[in-house]
Amino acid sequence: MIQPASGTPHAAPRSLVASAAAFVRRIIGVPDYAIYRSHMESCHPGEPVMTEREFANERLAARYSRPGQRCC
Amino acid sequence: MPILRKLTWVAIAVVGAATLGYVAVSRGETIGAGWLLTAAVCIYLIAYRFHSRIIAAKIFALDPNRATPAVRLADGRDYVPTNKWIAFGHHFAAIAGPGPLLGPTLAAQFGYLPGFLWIVVGVVLGGAVQDCIILCASIRRDGKSLGQMAKEEIGSVAGYTALVATFGIMIVMISVLALVVVNALKSSPWGTFTLMLTIPIAILMGVYLRWIRPGRVLEATGIGLALLFFSLFAGKWVAQDPALAATFTLTGQQLSVWMMIYGFFASVLPVWFLLAPRDYLSAFVKIGVVAGLGVAVFVLLPSMQMPATTTFFTTGEGPVFAGKVFPFVFITIACGAISGFHSLVCSGTTPKLVEDETDARLIGYGGMLTESLVAVLALIAASVLEPGAYFAINAPAGIIGTTVQSAAEWATNAGFAITPERLNELAARVQESSLLSRTGGAPSLAVGMANILSGVFGKGDATAIWYHFAIMFEALFVLTTLDAGTRVGRFMLQDMGSHVWKPFGRVSWQPAAITASAIVVLLWGYFLYQGVNDPLGGVNTLWPLFGISNQLLAVIALCVGTTVILKMGKARYMAFTVVPLTWLAVVNLTAGFEKIFGAEPRLGFLAHARWFQGFLDSGQVPPGVANAGVAARMIFNDRVDAGVTAFFLCSVLVILAASMKEWYAVLSGAKEPVSTEIPFTPRTALSQSP
Repeated sequence: MIQPASGTPHAAPRSLVASAAAFVRRIIGVPDYAIYRSHMESCHPGEPVMTEREFANERLAARYSRPGQRCC
Repeated sequence: MPILRKLTWVAIAVVGAATLGYVAVSRGETIGAGWLLTAAVCIYLIAYRFHSRIIAAKIFALDPNRATPAVRLADGRDYVPTNKWIAFGHHFAAIAGPGPLLGPTLAAQFGYLPGFLWIVVGVVLGGAVQDCIILCASIRRDGKSLGQMAKEEIGSVAGYTALVATFGIMIVMISVLALVVVNALKSSPWGTFTLMLTIPIAILMGVYLRWIRPGRVLEATGIGLALLFFSLFAGKWVAQDPALAATFTLTGQQLSVWMMIYGFFASVLPVWFLLAPRDYLSAFVKIGVVAGLGVAVFVLLPSMQMPATTTFFTTGEGPVFAGKVFPFVFITIACGAISGFHSLVCSGTTPKLVEDETDARLIGYGGMLTESLVAVLALIAASVLEPGAYFAINAPAGIIGTTVQSAAEWATNAGFAITPERLNELAARVQESSLLSRTGGAPSLAVGMANILSGVFGKGDATAIWYHFAIMFEALFVLTTLDAGTRVGRFMLQDMGSHVWKPFGRVSWQPAAITASAIVVLLWGYFLYQGVNDPLGGVNTLWPLFGISNQLLAVIALCVGTTVILKMGKARYMAFTVVPLTWLAVVNLTAGFEKIFGAEPRLGFLAHARWFQGFLDSGQVPPGVANAGVAARMIFNDRVDAGVTAFFLCSVLVILAASMKEWYAVLSGAKEPVSTEIPFTPRTALSQSP
């Protein structure tokens, strides 16, 4: 299998519990700030990065604004 | 293939065929649920191994070296390369709502066999194919939505039809789901109080996540779950206190007004405050309960009490909804067999998460097979109830009357013997004043689940607790669909409105947001209120409308899929989408036509209007209706329902005509088959130049 490209960040290494928590969080649809941050740091260095609060707001607004998020 | 593996697959095929054959021909006393589960699982395994492989390897030729949009367009927000099991879990949590639980429960009025066969055959030939193909098509187009693909592949007429149809489906879906909750909670102080408490619990979680421990979602959800359990017992105390119980004993009309107020506020308030925390809570409870039900059924393997087929199969006089098994079983069960709504998820969030194209087979096809298994579990839970009780719970008062005596008499005459004492005993066991005519499927499913779960986890009082737990869980995620749906509907309406008057599309402009939310709430509220007041039970009207609209979306999705396959130059694989498309078009057109023009008043909207008009013309009030004014309003409702159905049918015809025109152009050589796929980009190239 091919390793993920370096331009496609997975978050920095985390402990087992933290990874399990991240797994559950992403299944229920919580946006992952660590992934966003590491993406911005590795692909867009120097560009402004949203704070955790801004990121959460931006993601929530996107999540509930279009169909295709959930089903009947 | 090594010989041992070949033999394993042969064995699975033989076991699957044998168990399916036994289920299909068995007419003995009762059969165990194990037969159905074994047949279903063997069919899923074979389908996944061989059928989905053709879609993945031959039609799309999924390639692990091809960069997916999640990789190419990674932005850490929408486009995030995701481990395939996380993406599978996320996709499954998004597609599996109340639909696969309620549809099979309602369709059990024909007996368990028609529903079971449609679920397992429909998912393999229809639902899983649709989901997988739309997911692959969207992945190859940067995660485009179904509407955009319809516009680009078929034409702008198809695109607009898809857009308007999606909006119509949202409205009908919200109203029917709200009706199910209203019917489950009316005159039930326990259920009502428990569900009401979920609102402050969600707000508390929202506040916690905002100010106390920002971002600690799992912590907040843990607290929410603990409080949810507390609210379950709080509901019991409320129900036992005469004064409090009276306060929280609400009628259907009161509940539907509360639902509309709730939907409106959920749509205009900031999402972090109410919507998002509810959503997390509901996702957790959903996965937990589905898993729990699965474990309980697999452990207990209960016996089916419902016969394989009932007389309503051919008479079309079933009390739950009118109409014969063809076409109505095929639109009553959408989610679990084929659900058009999935195509929105498959072209929404999921395609932007897929890290490796070949994962689409597990996520799209496998995800749908899993949902189908949930539908089989729901069908089993509904069928382990004694049939007399099933019909007493699911038939409207207009048919079985309002007392246990009349209900028991009706059921016994229909061939499902039950005594009034038994009906009282069932209600007492779940600590409700009555279970009669709680239409919509949720309460009978809850009784079935409570019987199954209390068999594994506890005895005695446990049945009541499990019943209310099941009601709370169904209501919780129905309400989550309702509030999120209202908000999405508001955005869609603002978007459509902006073509007429630009400022209406500004999402953060309060007057536009409030107006659009109010319109959306009033639209679904209209259907909800009409359903609550219908003596024949609104489910008889609204569930078929919901099924027709959902299958219309599936028709659109399969038309898009067929066009995509044709333009890839893979015309020889067209049958994969054309076969389910033809079937759905026939089913949908027949069902829609019968709902509009059927001669029997319970079946046809226009016949019902004429029947009522006949009473009014002779100066009488129709049975079950309070006065002539109400009857006149119901005649108006009938005509609206006929109009809405006609709109859905016209949409089917428009989409089919536009698609066939495009296919003819490509097949006859008049138009070059040019695929709109984003050209191949190797994944390795990206890793070298970040």
